[in-house]
Amino acid sequence: MPRVYASSVIDAPAAKVWDKVRDFNALPRWHPRIRESRIENGEPSDKVGCVRDFRLQNGDRLREKLLGLSDYDMFCTYSILESPMPLTNYMATLRLTPISDGDRTFIEWSAEFDCAAEAAADLVDGIGNNVFQAGFDALKRQMAG
Amino acid sequence: MVRIVESTILDAPVEAVWAVLRDFNGHDQWHPAVADSTIERGSPSDRIGCVRRFHLADGSELREQLLTLSDADMAFSYCLMETPVPLLNYVAHVRLAPVTDGDRTFWHWQCRFDTPAGRETELRDMVANTIYRAGFDAVREHMGLPVSRPGAR
Repeated sequence: MPRVYASSVIDAPAAKVWDKVRDFNALPRWHPRIRESRIENGEPSDKVGCVRDFRLQNGDRLREKLLGLSDYDMFCTYSILESPMPLTNYMATLRLTPISDGDRTFIEWSAEFDCAAEAAADLVDGIGNNVFQAGFDALKRQMAG
Repeated sequence: MVRIVESTILDAPVEAVWAVLRDFNGHDQWHPAVADSTIERGSPSDRIGCVRRFHLADGSELREQLLTLSDADMAFSYCLMETPVPLLNYVAHVRLAPVTDGDRTFWHWQCRFDTPAGRETELRDMVANTIYRAGFDAVREHMGLPVSRPGAR
């Protein structure tokens, strides 16, 4: 089972970063790769089990289900229900931890999934760079202001 | 119960930091508070249950037992068995994680303990400053890393 892990440091307090990322429907407001998002069936975006239906800038459509959300531990876990990527059983977690030294944020994003062996390297690379690291870079730019 | 959580970023790969921290008997090599340290009964320092007996600069003796050590998670935990200061039921957890963006290390160090009423603040500050924060800077110095923290405000 391929695994993707990326982590970074954001120069802002964890509570501020969490305010931005905890909303499961907010990807278009901080992730440059996401154009639009909505929560299915008019459910609140912090209801565990809700589904976000969103589109990338290139028009690709994904549906993801919120599996876990904790304001106390500052993490969010979700799975992919539908995507153009050749993978199954995708589950990811985005987690924040305060860095007491300097009041900064340690951000970790990890995922596991199943796929054909020959597709694994490209998927790990693409998700790690285009989704996770691109998200970190955007957050760093936005929180620097 | 008093709880302390301290964390920092070291400008070194996580494997290099783990190589320093995983030796339960190695703290006298880098921590300024520790004068000397031995593992009791000649046990290896990565054997779960081993006890390190060490002295501070003022000669006071402490004994701590290794409760957990995981190379997979780059984490360990330990408890205080004997101490001259009233840190009771003291259990600490150390955990490292890679910062893949820049090949650095996130170091998380936390503990909890009981202490007589009225001494909580004094002992919290003592452990947080002279053990944990001083330990962060001591490992930086031991590894030849810059002690000034970029991004610290």
